Amino acid sequence: MKKIKFSAFLSTAIVCYLFWLVLTGQIVSIFTGGASLQILLAGALVSIIAALFSARFFIRSKAFYLANPVKFFIWIYYSVIVFMWELIKANIDVALRAFGFKKNKPGIVKVESDLKSDYGLAALANSITLTPGTITLDIAECDGKNYFYIHWIDVATADVKEAGDAIKGTMEKWIRRIWE
Amino acid sequence: MRYIIDILIAISLLFALAGVVGMIRFRDVFSRMQASTNISTLGVIGVILGAIIYSAVVLGDYSMVVKLVVMGIFYIITNPIAGHAVAKAAYRRGMAKDLELECDKYGEDLENAD
Repeated sequence: MKKIKFSAFLSTAIVCYLFWLVLTGQIVSIFTGGASLQILLAGALVSIIAALFSARFFIRSKAFYLANPVKFFIWIYYSVIVFMWELIKANIDVALRAFGFKKNKPGIVKVESDLKSDYGLAALANSITLTPGTITLDIAECDGKNYFYIHWIDVATADVKEAGDAIKGTMEKWIRRIWE
Repeated sequence: MRYIIDILIAISLLFALAGVVGMIRFRDVFSRMQASTNISTLGVIGVILGAIIYSAVVLGDYSMVVKLVVMGIFYIITNPIAGHAVAKAAYRRGMAKDLELECDKYGEDLENAD
């Protein structure tokens, strides 16, 4: 078995244990009283064993990258307010297209991103895919820059820069604060 | 409170309807997938928010609330990965060959790479 870092193991075990608490419903009983010691101990054992096997898939570089409270609150703010607002705008747009109030102009555009880390790129690609109207097809690295290939339902411009501003909106700025 | 729950679920049903109509009306694979993300974002988030308020206020069952939040988070994390994989596989199978695309940068760059 490959050797794993202790910090990676520890953060995986903590996450596993949190999910155990949530799925068995113990996380509510801890606050209201009446948590069962047997279930808590069994969960600790199981999450340690699971973390031994899965730590090297779960943690790629930094183990406690969300333990910084400022970053954590920016993350919550991003996913609840910034991203939700983008989602609502795009949803209304695609719903109008579906009912036939607007015409489609589908196409595949290329968009540049100056994010570097794996986490940041994955987060941006998933945010773009989750917004209706844009799907990330591929990420390619070329001359030290990362490019997204995005299927866009309404191609306003094929230019790399302008399309990037229209698709990414404010999302890239927030993602850079969290994961870079 | 009851009205808020009803309004949330009605909004999400409206967007789910828009997704279904789009899936039937649009002409090619990629546009249909765009329409289906409509269902899987606001369509699901509205129902989950309504269910959270219902189980917290009406039922008073807080472990259900925690489970619903976890469900929502996992849905949001896993859904785009599947969407990306399906779209890329469809492109690689040549589904975009005979479509009238406004521009196709991906195809150009793939040809240049070969």
